[in-house]
Amino acid sequence: MNTARLSRVAVVVLAMTFAVSMASAQLNSGAQTIALNANLTESLTLSLSASAVNFTLAAGSASNVGSTTITATTAWTLKPGRTAVGVYAYFGSAAAALTDGVGDNIPSSAFFISDNGGASTALTNTVAFGGANAGYQMANVAITGLNKASSRADVMAFNINLTGGTLPQLPANTYTGTLNIQAQATP
Amino acid sequence: MRLQKKLGTVATLALLAAMFAVPARGQVRNSGASPIALQAVLTQSISVTLSGNAVNFNLVAGSANNPGSTSITATTTWTLKPSVASLKLYAFFSTSTAALTDGAGNNIPSADFQISTNAGAFTALTNTVPFGGANAGLQLSSTPILGNNKIGTRNDVMNFNINLTALPSLAASGYTGTLTIQAQAI
Repeated sequence: MNTARLSRVAVVVLAMTFAVSMASAQLNSGAQTIALNANLTESLTLSLSASAVNFTLAAGSASNVGSTTITATTAWTLKPGRTAVGVYAYFGSAAAALTDGVGDNIPSSAFFISDNGGASTALTNTVAFGGANAGYQMANVAITGLNKASSRADVMAFNINLTGGTLPQLPANTYTGTLNIQAQATP
Repeated sequence: MRLQKKLGTVATLALLAAMFAVPARGQVRNSGASPIALQAVLTQSISVTLSGNAVNFNLVAGSANNPGSTSITATTTWTLKPSVASLKLYAFFSTSTAALTDGAGNNIPSADFQISTNAGAFTALTNTVPFGGANAGLQLSSTPILGNNKIGTRNDVMNFNINLTALPSLAASGYTGTLTIQAQAI
């Protein structure tokens, strides 16, 4: 009995001695460091699926639908502290969104956009870009910790409503204009 | 006759005197031995030197491929005891969750930091090694120590990459971190 106990004790002592021996055999070099610098640049881009829309106007008609829809794809990688991304459509002037160049104009209030199947809305607001009362905010994306780098798509359908004011008397002519789409991250 | 006998006696005495006189002059006397203990110690050593101490990355959001601006060569030099079995080189961060950070709560974990050693596959720092934080390390190399390389040196060329595919929403910012390279003989 005593012999067995002594044997166990001997084995344990041997194991401990071996462990200490192994530990003391370990040798480490000095630690050498490498400084790492990684820069993720802030970016905000907007691209369009097409860049032209045609309208065949009917005098006095409320429904003069654009020839095609256009998708605006907004992509961003933002710094901490940004809280929102807005997507805007606007003209340079509320009075002459489209013009024939000889004094006849279609105002921005007669130009409508339906964003992602939503209600068709005239460009009558003053937004971050463009002329006073010549814009429309199509989207406002709240930025959280989960979407500091992300993207969204806005499918725009267009219409010109010729029922307002003097527009039923709009002379026959070709009217041209430039609609701008632009995004802004704030603050 | 008497004279001859006397002369014989004298000659015998002279011969005996000569015989005893010569050994007395040739006898060596030694002091006691004074030992000098000699000890020569060749100390074990391992050192790691790096060809550079900084790497920059221009990140593209969500991209798997964001290579470091330069490779760095780690040169490990050693003088080891016969009892040492192997020499291993490690790369590690102090924490796996924030290998690089912008200091504003946005982090790049060690799992998205990759090293290719000597043109091998890019491997993330996700192992627990003798140094650094848990799951924040990578063994770069292992050299068996044999009879012919107890004193030796080796180079490990490291290329770096940050894979952002698991971090698609990482905020735009400047991220900094410290990668440490260290060797261990055991």
